[in-house]
Amino acid sequence: MEHLLETIGRNLFAIFGVMALGSAAFMVASRSAVHSVLGFLFTMLCIAGCFLALEAEFLGMAQILVYAGGIVVLFLFVVMLVEMSKKSGAQVFQLQSRYAVAAVLIGAALFVGVFRKVIFGAASAEALVLRPGLAQGLDVAKQNAQAVSRGLFADYLLPFEILSVILLVALVGAVVLAKTERV
Amino acid sequence: MVSLNAVLLISFGLFSIGIAGVLIRRNALVILMCVELMLNAANLNFIAFARHSGSVSGQAFALLVMGFAAAEVAVGLALVVALYRKRDTVQVDDINLLKG
Repeated sequence: MEHLLETIGRNLFAIFGVMALGSAAFMVASRSAVHSVLGFLFTMLCIAGCFLALEAEFLGMAQILVYAGGIVVLFLFVVMLVEMSKKSGAQVFQLQSRYAVAAVLIGAALFVGVFRKVIFGAASAEALVLRPGLAQGLDVAKQNAQAVSRGLFADYLLPFEILSVILLVALVGAVVLAKTERV
Repeated sequence: MVSLNAVLLISFGLFSIGIAGVLIRRNALVILMCVELMLNAANLNFIAFARHSGSVSGQAFALLVMGFAAAEVAVGLALVVALYRKRDTVQVDDINLLKG
């Protein structure tokens, strides 16, 4: 039993990754849009597990909050709004999907061909390394959120501010696009 | 310790499934979900390389990508709703207003 748990603990990333692949395939293949949303939800949770296995604790939690908490609810809301009056017997896949699948397979073969020989060096022992000035008074290994925020606000303050402007514009744009034409 | 190749393989698989979904599905909502899936595959790569090099930049940018994805979903879903109001459908094959 202990041995089994230890094996699972060591292969957490592979387990979550394979589950994410499986539920993503379910999402693409399922006929009903609600089932697709549920597959999407499970995929996002598995990817959050992958983030945790890669020692990005803050991002794993942010993934669960943003995707499982916000985006999936938004999707479900719109699916309920839009799909209720669907005509039955509609085709699921597009007409040209045979060529699309062939194109994706060729792309995959090219990717494997190009990156086959790439050999990666040894990983760094620490999950995160901050500059000495930034890491002052911080246990980087244990305080992931603080470490990420210090890196973010020290080096990437401008992209962060630009992102907040993008979010504001998207919010206003969504309201303008979705509002009814009356008055 | 997760090997970088394993992460790249998983995220490549997720990205491929996302591209395949965008190309073959007819439902605009599912296409949007597949775009999100591709953004997440890229995020996974960011974090894997951040873990590999021990740099904080990858995680910081993954956070920015997450915010960007949220903005994209808001606008995309608003477009779908507007389209549904106008044409009463969300199947992309039925949307041929630009056809002469």
